[in-house]
Amino acid sequence: MTGMWLKQVWAVFRLEIGKSFFSKRGLWIYLLALAPVLMFFGHGWVAKRDAARRSEYNQGETVSREQLHSLKRGMLKDQVMTRLPNPRSQRTVETKAGVREFLFYSSKEEDLTVRLLDGKVVGLQYRGECNLDRDKIMFGTVYQIFFLRLAVFFGCVFVFLNLFRGEILDKSLHYYFLAPVRREIVVLGKYLAGLVATCVIFSTSAALQLTVLYLHLPKTALDEYLAGTGWQDAFAYTGVAALACVGYGSVFLLAGMILRNPLIPAVSILLWESINSILPAVLRKASVIYYLKSMCPVEILSREDVPPVLAMLAVNVEPATPLVAIGGLCLVALCVVAVAAVYSRRMEINYAAE
Amino acid sequence: MIVFDDISKFYGEVLGVNRVNLSIPPGITSLVGPNGSGKTTLMNLMTGLLQPSRGHIEVMGIPTTDPERLFRTIGYCSQFDNYPKGFTGYEFVYSFLRLFGMDHAECEKKAWASIDRVNLREAASRKIAGYSKGMRQRIKLAQSIAHDPKVLVLDEPMNGLDPLVRAETIALFRDLSSQGLHVILSSHVLHEVDIISDQVILMSGGYVIAEGKIQGVRGEIEDHPMQVMIHCNPAKALAARLFEQDYVVEVKIHADGGGLMVKTKNADSFFLMMNRLALEGLPIETVQPADDDVNSVYEYLIGNEEAAR
Repeated sequence: MTGMWLKQVWAVFRLEIGKSFFSKRGLWIYLLALAPVLMFFGHGWVAKRDAARRSEYNQGETVSREQLHSLKRGMLKDQVMTRLPNPRSQRTVETKAGVREFLFYSSKEEDLTVRLLDGKVVGLQYRGECNLDRDKIMFGTVYQIFFLRLAVFFGCVFVFLNLFRGEILDKSLHYYFLAPVRREIVVLGKYLAGLVATCVIFSTSAALQLTVLYLHLPKTALDEYLAGTGWQDAFAYTGVAALACVGYGSVFLLAGMILRNPLIPAVSILLWESINSILPAVLRKASVIYYLKSMCPVEILSREDVPPVLAMLAVNVEPATPLVAIGGLCLVALCVVAVAAVYSRRMEINYAAE
Repeated sequence: MIVFDDISKFYGEVLGVNRVNLSIPPGITSLVGPNGSGKTTLMNLMTGLLQPSRGHIEVMGIPTTDPERLFRTIGYCSQFDNYPKGFTGYEFVYSFLRLFGMDHAECEKKAWASIDRVNLREAASRKIAGYSKGMRQRIKLAQSIAHDPKVLVLDEPMNGLDPLVRAETIALFRDLSSQGLHVILSSHVLHEVDIISDQVILMSGGYVIAEGKIQGVRGEIEDHPMQVMIHCNPAKALAARLFEQDYVVEVKIHADGGGLMVKTKNADSFFLMMNRLALEGLPIETVQPADDDVNSVYEYLIGNEEAAR
């Protein structure tokens, strides 16, 4: 009988996997997954271009980092020009507030934009040379704030809610329910298809993001990173993306079976996950994002240059150990899928009521 | 036997069917009743797509709560006209058979055999989305018979079929029935029931109001001319032929000249003649009973039953 069930799971999986990957309505998932890849690619390209420009500019007369950092807000233009007489370029704009001037400097390591209003320094903006530490923090922040909370989340909302809800709305669920297949097997086959599709899409995206992000780094720095924690970090990020699909997938699979309006579970869970950081410790553990954050390799809270709101979303007080996080998440997903399987036995085909 | 033991089904406070007790023997059994009388509910209950609010159903000794066994015995050609997206006719039948756990070769063989039985081989490699209503009915029928079921449940199986395919389909039902199958079909068109069935179950408002042989119902039909809508362009030639028949009471040509509304007092002879005319080459596209008058017969019968209850 087990052999028969495996064949049936495979048959359901075969039918569902194509729909999960290639649904026309779901093409936006690929855009969500591709967005951070493009962003990091752009970041790498700009970083490389800036480095080349700085290198070219500083071949002759070199401005030191100390000189750039010797400027202070409130200084007059004359004082600036005394310390740094030769800006790389400058621009003047007349506005209602007064005459705004922008002076651009570059050292070998970083760029500085000095903003002046009526001859007085009102802003200093440093853009440093990219380095591994900064990139890791940037990646970790984007990964946790955008990728996990939005891209993977909404990708799973679409794929897993559609496994049952989509078929009910398309009035095609009876295709499975008229076959000699246990309903539990239909649930399992559909869940596995959704899981494989989302894992492939989002884990590949995570791997691509890391690849394009670190491509611009000097080879020595990259080799050093990979020899250290590089591969471990990459494995962790792709694994966390897959685990997010395991967790969110199970929840939305069940929600799609029980609730008619998919917006209700999606918004409710998104809110719950968003306020996770301000919840009491016990409640905090009753969310998928808590376990996912526990496994992310970069701790964002410790960085001063991360905005407080983002840090709050990314922080994980008392993170779970990897064993607890992975085990807990898989166990929760298993329980939710089991509930969905039991619920499926009571499901009726009554499209007219939808 | 298919046994309904004190079956009731409520959708919230809305009655689906109530206190149904039936034992359906082999042969062709028709569930007859106007729209909303509970035919589809009864069929969905029989196939486990709905669970009864009260009572117990067994199909050949198998409870309907056991789909794994039930659907090896039963084939259901439902009224639902939707399919998994992107399927060709062949894929639709083949993939369904794969769900039975059969291997590729067996599924392929059975899929083609059932597609051949409904004469759809040429269109089998086309997407179902491009099928006509009649072709969709036939591919659904192929799906429901592909695994050689002992019980075949068909919800309005003649909808959208042209006269020739209708005749072929009826022949197929008869063939299956002669092999000892239970063939249970629903219809709101009495003349179809008349042609096909060994017995009828007459339903109204969720209740079974009569069951048994069809002769009793037939007598009522003959007193009430049946309306038939025919799409045929040009319609005039067909109208002229129809006027020659003494059982044709009235013929109205549509304003656009592309169809007719015919009233006949002998549905059997009328449909036989339609088949003959189609074979002669008259461009008949569809023949669809517009059974308002038949419904009137129902209402007359059912009205009596309601009054008696």
